[in-house]
Amino acid sequence: MRRYLRLVRIFTGATVAAQLEYRANFVGAVLASLGQVGVALLGIGVLFGQPGTTSVGGWSFREALLVTGFYMLTEGFIAVFVQPNMSRIAEAVRTGAMDFTLLKPIDAQFGVSTRHLNVLRVPDMVIGVGLIVSAASALTVTPGSALAAALLYASALVIVYCIWLGLSTTAFWFVKTQNVTELFSGVFGAARFPATAFPVPVRFLLTFVVPVAFVTTVPAQALTGQLGVTLALTSPLVAAALLLVTRLFWRYAVASYTSASS
Amino acid sequence: MTEYRAEVVIWMLSGTLSLVMMLVWMAQAAAAPGGMVRGYTPADFATYFLSTWFVSQLLVVWVSHELDYEIRQGVLSPKLLRPLDPFWQHLLGHVSERFVRLIPMLLLAALFTWLSGARFTTAWWAYPAVLALVVLGFGVRFLWEYTLGLLAFWTDSSTSFQEIVWLVYAALGGMFAPLAFYPEWVQRVAVWTPFPYMLGLPSQLLAGKATLAQAGQGAAVLLGWLVVFWVVRQAVWRAGLRRYGAVGA
Repeated sequence: MRRYLRLVRIFTGATVAAQLEYRANFVGAVLASLGQVGVALLGIGVLFGQPGTTSVGGWSFREALLVTGFYMLTEGFIAVFVQPNMSRIAEAVRTGAMDFTLLKPIDAQFGVSTRHLNVLRVPDMVIGVGLIVSAASALTVTPGSALAAALLYASALVIVYCIWLGLSTTAFWFVKTQNVTELFSGVFGAARFPATAFPVPVRFLLTFVVPVAFVTTVPAQALTGQLGVTLALTSPLVAAALLLVTRLFWRYAVASYTSASS
Repeated sequence: MTEYRAEVVIWMLSGTLSLVMMLVWMAQAAAAPGGMVRGYTPADFATYFLSTWFVSQLLVVWVSHELDYEIRQGVLSPKLLRPLDPFWQHLLGHVSERFVRLIPMLLLAALFTWLSGARFTTAWWAYPAVLALVVLGFGVRFLWEYTLGLLAFWTDSSTSFQEIVWLVYAALGGMFAPLAFYPEWVQRVAVWTPFPYMLGLPSQLLAGKATLAQAGQGAAVLLGWLVVFWVVRQAVWRAGLRRYGAVGA
């Protein structure tokens, strides 16, 4: 365990040093983050700005803002931690570089999941947290509900990681997987609004088929204390099940890996 | 291009922002008293947003990524030896891809129309008008993306600038809501930009909510921007070439 933590520190240091070389890029990335939050606020502002509209799917403006905050935070999490690593799996399988990862005396899944970071997108996460805090400050939040939200959000991050890893692992057979993850990003765009803002059949899809509702809507509900016990228990269960399934799937994929040269 | 048919379909589905907004607004209208928001029924919203989806698919441009790569890796050098500006090669690549895209797009649009209950206008003149606006809009977008890609001559990467411009295009183009739903001041700014005429106006035409006169006006604005971006692209291209060090040479 200690060894793995030390490795994370080394990996982080290496990628951060490599990325800070491009300073103009960093300014651009900060501007892009600000643009993104501006557009997110415009989108939700227009929705609530119509005459006679006080709620969307039963959510007040502040509560919906909470969901947007969780959405920005998760987008940032994906851009910083998940996507830079997962997008390299397909490349490594195609070129045979996966051999080196598999030969190392550390768990291969750990190796492919933690090697890279995209620090340029950290501002997204900061903005997400800022949105959550400012939206929550106008709502009644108890320490208990904040804790519940934090725990549910942790399992939300596990869900996101698992879906992404599962999709990327298909690279062992399909070689090109960029499109599939792109498709997930598209569906994930629905998470910027509360799940109840959608028509009922779509709501069902977003909860049980592609579980994005657990990522933003459920933690926001927990924070405002409107979450039922069933949903609160479902989220960690879904996360645990996905973790197990993707782990088995990864093991199976690695077992059937035959390198690029042989 | 046709080799990657599955890929083309997936890329099209991934342009889902319009579809997400469609579902949200349809639910909003269904829940509102009277069943409409600002005179838009759920079917109206379906028509509008399916149109923005369709039009935005026709306006997809990825040339700045290619230029970014070519300039950084020096792939541009051999192309400069040819007697033709690489601009035309990129343009033709994009245009031919539209034809690959068209059939699966129409099929998907038909499926979504059936699922959502959208109703497109029966006025025949709207369709050639939309086509003209889309052609002009594509030209404008291609030129600005090309110019952004050329910024790679100066910066290490131009992708984040391209992302910012996309956000403005999506927001002011009307991908989140018809432009009339936006706050007053945003609308006042937007009418001076090319964005509403590229995305929102063709969609309004298809939904039967805009007139021929408005289409003509939009086309005139787009034509003006086309000239502006053409001049800017030429200037940036010349300045960039002088600065280009040809990696590996």
